[in-house]
Amino acid sequence: MLGKTFRGGVHPDECKHYAPHTVYEPRGELVYPLAQHIGKPATPLVRAGDRVLVGQKIAERDGYISSCIHSSVSGTVKTVERRATVMGAGECIVVESDGKYELYPGVGEAVDPDSLSPEQIIARVREAGVVGLGGAAFPTPVKLEPKDRDAIEYVILNGAECEPYITCDDDLMRQKAPEIVEGLRILLKIFPNAEGVILIEKNKPEAIAAMQKAIEGEEKMRIHVAPVKYPQGGERAVVKVVAGKDTKLSQLPADVGCLVDNVATVYAIYEAVCRSTPLFRRLVTVSGTAVRTPGNFLVRAGTSCAELLEAAGGLKEGAEAAKALSGGPMMGIAMASLDVPLQKSSGAIVLLAEDEAEQSETKLTECIRCGRCVHACPMGLSPLLMAEAALRGDLQRYEQKLYGLECISCGSCTWVCPAKRPLMQTFKDAKDAILSARRK
Amino acid sequence: MDQKYHVSSSPHVRSPLTTGAVMYDVILALLPAAVFGVWHFGVHALLIILMSVVSAVLTEFVFNALTGKGNTLRDGSAVLTGLLLALCLPPQVPLYIPYIGAVFAIAVVKGLFGGLGRNILNPALAARCFLLLSFGGPMTRYFADGVSGATPLAAIAAGRSADLVRILTGHAGGVIGCSAIALLLGGLYLLISGGITWQIPVATVAGFSAFMLLFGENMTPALLLAQIAGGGVLMAAFFMATDPVTSPVSGPGQLMFGACVGILSGLLRRFGSSADSVSYAVILANLATPVLDECIVPKPYAFRGREGRPEQPVKTWLPGTAGAIAAVVAVCAALAVGVSMLTGSVVEQRRLAENAETYRAVLPGAETFEVPDGVAEVLDALDGDIYGPYGNIRIDEVITAKDASGNVLGTVVSVTNPDGRDAPISLSVGILPDGTLNGIVYTDLNETPGIGMKVADASFTEQFKGVKADRLTVGGEIDAAAGATVSSEAVVDCVNAALDFWTAHVGA
Repeated sequence: MLGKTFRGGVHPDECKHYAPHTVYEPRGELVYPLAQHIGKPATPLVRAGDRVLVGQKIAERDGYISSCIHSSVSGTVKTVERRATVMGAGECIVVESDGKYELYPGVGEAVDPDSLSPEQIIARVREAGVVGLGGAAFPTPVKLEPKDRDAIEYVILNGAECEPYITCDDDLMRQKAPEIVEGLRILLKIFPNAEGVILIEKNKPEAIAAMQKAIEGEEKMRIHVAPVKYPQGGERAVVKVVAGKDTKLSQLPADVGCLVDNVATVYAIYEAVCRSTPLFRRLVTVSGTAVRTPGNFLVRAGTSCAELLEAAGGLKEGAEAAKALSGGPMMGIAMASLDVPLQKSSGAIVLLAEDEAEQSETKLTECIRCGRCVHACPMGLSPLLMAEAALRGDLQRYEQKLYGLECISCGSCTWVCPAKRPLMQTFKDAKDAILSARRK
Repeated sequence: MDQKYHVSSSPHVRSPLTTGAVMYDVILALLPAAVFGVWHFGVHALLIILMSVVSAVLTEFVFNALTGKGNTLRDGSAVLTGLLLALCLPPQVPLYIPYIGAVFAIAVVKGLFGGLGRNILNPALAARCFLLLSFGGPMTRYFADGVSGATPLAAIAAGRSADLVRILTGHAGGVIGCSAIALLLGGLYLLISGGITWQIPVATVAGFSAFMLLFGENMTPALLLAQIAGGGVLMAAFFMATDPVTSPVSGPGQLMFGACVGILSGLLRRFGSSADSVSYAVILANLATPVLDECIVPKPYAFRGREGRPEQPVKTWLPGTAGAIAAVVAVCAALAVGVSMLTGSVVEQRRLAENAETYRAVLPGAETFEVPDGVAEVLDALDGDIYGPYGNIRIDEVITAKDASGNVLGTVVSVTNPDGRDAPISLSVGILPDGTLNGIVYTDLNETPGIGMKVADASFTEQFKGVKADRLTVGGEIDAAAGATVSSEAVVDCVNAALDFWTAHVGA
């Protein structure tokens, strides 16, 4: 049965070309940005010349909201220097792989999760450097320690994967359903009063079937099949359809009794807790209109995006890519170059043959106030009024009367706008201006 | 870094929808009404549509060129404005009317206010109101089945029954886009395809119906349906009031706006003096749009319901809004009455002038016209009721005519007899100051050719010149037209009613 949906949302072309993942092993050097999570950058634990092993911690977290980083190969630290990253540039540890994949002692050891206390579980997740793999890369252990663990009613596994092109979570659910369910069981140990809900969009019937089979006999788990609609995978949309509650900017899901984790994150929790394996590998989708053979790859963190694209057969014959995205086309980050390393949170590389955003500029007209953005906004905002206020520089009206900070940057309004107004971009600027003025 | 890619903010894909597509969708929805109009009214209606659309597009082009704006023709809005304007014009207007209207709509109502998305009033309707004020005659003369006649609404106002089926299909006449069924078809298409939301059409029709049921005269469901279908309410509800640029954005705002349009339409139709209630209602409601949009900004979902913002525990949202709405309605009503009084007299003047030809036919040399003292009150008191013991005759109009030097030439009494042999007969009677008849002229005669139509022959009508009597009889003062006795008697009844009215309320 189809579960509830949220208000608003849009239906971009799905463009999902599923292919089961293959393993890609990198050549040469791997690059680990110290800032690849929300919070403070990690502090390097190694120096040039040091030998490191697979799964060895090479950078320590700095403070509560931060995350440690592990080497994904065995080899020698070449340097610690500033390199280009997905976000622009930053300090990175560079490791030259020796191709042997020698494991760090203890990595891969099986552990019975039932022998661990919740605190021990959280400690293992923290030491494994697990961050949110849906894209935000928020350190997961922080989410596992809300004010009141008993108040959590729902532990929600987000397998919506509503972005076009991306199929890595689909693949993970098809291939690793029992492990994901084990990860959920571990979470339910931390949150004893919670029900486990696995949310999947209807367009992934194989994943739904696999997860359904994996939860057979589990009393506190169920599957929520959601209608296909963007941004179903957004945290607030997930909370809305499962718990029936709208949340504000000032609220965390925990404030309304929810914990939301991406399925890949929960798989990483399983690996960390049961297999003593830190987060250094993940599934990545390589797709897009310019890619020859779209598919999924099990990739080590630190691998160069350009290298992975080559592994996927490169670009289509005669095709040129106008845009390279880390993530999907709705919320992904446009990269100037593919010579950047994959990070923990990089779930997809999407190469688009045409830059629709640029093309749409030639179709730009005045706002005709058609209201499609209002209907598309999953938060219930009025984007056209917000844009008008922001462009006029009336940030007070933007923030107070129009609740402009509640915008989740999902881009639905911008996608749907027939006048091709750059709404999201306007809101980003306005939000940045308001927040930076607040910090002063 | 061998290859550089474009860098921009997400989202990186866009829907295929463009402003042009939005406009052409509405144009598509209007096509049934346009096709019906051309099929029913003939090639002149097609010429009006073409004239209006081409003029609108050219005006936009020239305006952009003169003001240094880029080419905005591909957004399709000029074509749409031209088509909308044409569809709410009478089917026989001279071609300069759509030309002037389209230029006014595009250059003044839209261009001068900043172009697409900036105009305050609906360009097509503002142009229609402008044309009504400027060319009252051609803009209020309607033809049905090729013969000059009243629109269904005028027929209803005159107390005659109107055939609902003919109104629904558009065969009863009216503007070019008068087919209720074709308009509904287009409106439903827009609703289903997401081009418009349900709030404005529903609130408009509901507001109008509620007002008419509460304040209308002898409202029956069938009559209400005829009022909705036959008088531009549907056109406004689906195509005019829903113009996104000039209507509110929020759902509740749209409901209020639609209700304003509906209620004002009813108010103006029932109590206004201008025939054109709906156009003015939409234009007035357009003026309220910025206020409605300012007062009703929906809160994000997470802030609705009982949970307010913590720093604003008691919200005065509802009373504030209600007050604003009440104020808007009050201002609109005041404006409506004012405009109706103002435009009513102007339109009346225009109409009198347009009817001058008729008056001169029975009072040669007439130059200026006025309603005789006290007659307006008598007609108001009659309120369309049957006058005198002459059958079902109603007095349409009474005016006194003067020549160029101000000498009173006589009085013209216009009457309608619904009981002609085949169709209602309307005629004007010229009466000299001493009570002598000076001739009659038909304004609506639709008897069967070769039989009843013989009353139009000069040999019959000439008998009404130079006669002086209190009451004429067929076979007495007047000989029936050969083979048209029933029609002749119907005409004589008309003249007797006119004489009776003159004696009682005008004559010495």
